[in-house]
Amino acid sequence: MSKTFVVAEMALREIARRRGVLAILLIFPLAFYLSRRDSHAGQSIRFVCLGIGWAMSTAALFAGSAARAVEPRLRLSGYRSSHLYLGRLAALWTVGLLLSAPYYVLIRIDQEHIRYGAIALIMLLTVAVAAPFGLALSAALPRELEGMLVLLIVVGLQMMMDPAGSASRLLPFWFSREIGTYAVDHTDGGYLTRGLIHAVVCLAALLAVVAVASGYRLRQRSHLRFVARR
Amino acid sequence: MRHDTWLDALAGELRRHGVAEQTAGNVLAETAAHLWESGDDPLRAFGPPQAYAATVAESVRPEPPRRAPGGPVLLEVVGITKRYGRRTVLREVSLAVRAGEVAAVVGANGSGKSTFLGICAGLVSPDRGEVRVHGSLGYCPQGGGTSDFLVPDEHFLLVGAGRGMSRADARDTGRAGAAALDWDPRGGTQARHLSGGTRQKLNLVLAGLGDPDVLLLDEPYQGFDQGSYLDFWQQVRRWRDAGKAIVVVTHLLNTRDGVDTVLDLTPRGRA
Repeated sequence: MSKTFVVAEMALREIARRRGVLAILLIFPLAFYLSRRDSHAGQSIRFVCLGIGWAMSTAALFAGSAARAVEPRLRLSGYRSSHLYLGRLAALWTVGLLLSAPYYVLIRIDQEHIRYGAIALIMLLTVAVAAPFGLALSAALPRELEGMLVLLIVVGLQMMMDPAGSASRLLPFWFSREIGTYAVDHTDGGYLTRGLIHAVVCLAALLAVVAVASGYRLRQRSHLRFVARR
Repeated sequence: MRHDTWLDALAGELRRHGVAEQTAGNVLAETAAHLWESGDDPLRAFGPPQAYAATVAESVRPEPPRRAPGGPVLLEVVGITKRYGRRTVLREVSLAVRAGEVAAVVGANGSGKSTFLGICAGLVSPDRGEVRVHGSLGYCPQGGGTSDFLVPDEHFLLVGAGRGMSRADARDTGRAGAAALDWDPRGGTQARHLSGGTRQKLNLVLAGLGDPDVLLLDEPYQGFDQGSYLDFWQQVRRWRDAGKAIVVVTHLLNTRDGVDTVLDLTPRGRA
């Protein structure tokens, strides 16, 4: 636990020192929100959640790529791969929650007649899914540019695809549309349930990808054996 | 140049060259007396302190004592073969390094030195062969190995926590290791702002943190100036005297560096 905590602390320190990136992360969802504020209320809320998801996925992608240089050394220094990815996830989740809080306050002030608890739930789930999504991309695509392009495609599809179509359910932030509809249009609980199940399945799948990819990349090779010193 | 400035620099260089404290004191006293009596400019009388210290060190260096046979084998590398595509980079390479021994891995560019060390560290898989490490492993990569946005003390904490060290212990041990390389890591400079040589010093200190039994150092002195290079070999000798097994990948093997084993990976046709 303490090793995971140290990794999380150092990852937070690293992120906190990227002030320019933090500023962009903070402003990015606002642009999404304002771009749809004059249209239907639900659209601006869905877009801001998507903006948070995109911003956090990008942050996780870059954090995962930057960690590649130092993780083999940390593995040799006594860390297990689970210490490393769980610590980094904890840091990213913390940043995501801090990033989302002002937008929740904004929606509380700016929007009326919506289910605020469901909005908080979307933001929580978006942050929860976005961090392992970015880390999974960084694990699968070691070059940041390739990861960034895939991220762009996924979020672009998320905006363009018909949410009612079954293919759109393969996208990681589909749940935000479902729970968003429940929150804004006061639909029945089916939307909430479907959204929740989708988010939990996505989260579990992405965590599994991160765990397997990290464990494989940082595995102890079979040719190396550590023997207790005589 | 002022006498005391020059004498201070000379004292530092004599220490770097490993001149015994008493001998260095005598040399400094004699040199100071000469300068005061003659009133000469030290640069004109003795030249740069680095060069004078090197001359003194050479003249007083005793024959290296024959060390007792090494301790137990801590690193065993047996029959390593590695291919990249059709090209065989390493063929049936073996190496054994005992406690208190320094092995140098030399060879031309592209001869597989870093690959060999990566295999020893378990970061690269060979096609054949095995590596046994008796105890724990410290690794200093040729590049990378540090985090751009963390300061040196945070690196010490991060690596130290993996080794089971307390925060205070990791920080103090890291700072002491840095001081041995004539570097003060306090001040909160992020790794991305360190010079190449200083970053390698950080890398080297991290490799030794937690007292590993086997140290694998991949050209760790890149970017070092001459003084830091001497400090580095002093540090290697201290590790060796503490019973570590050390493997250094190097281009620059000086006969005085005092390695015990040389593994030349240059392909036979090119040697």
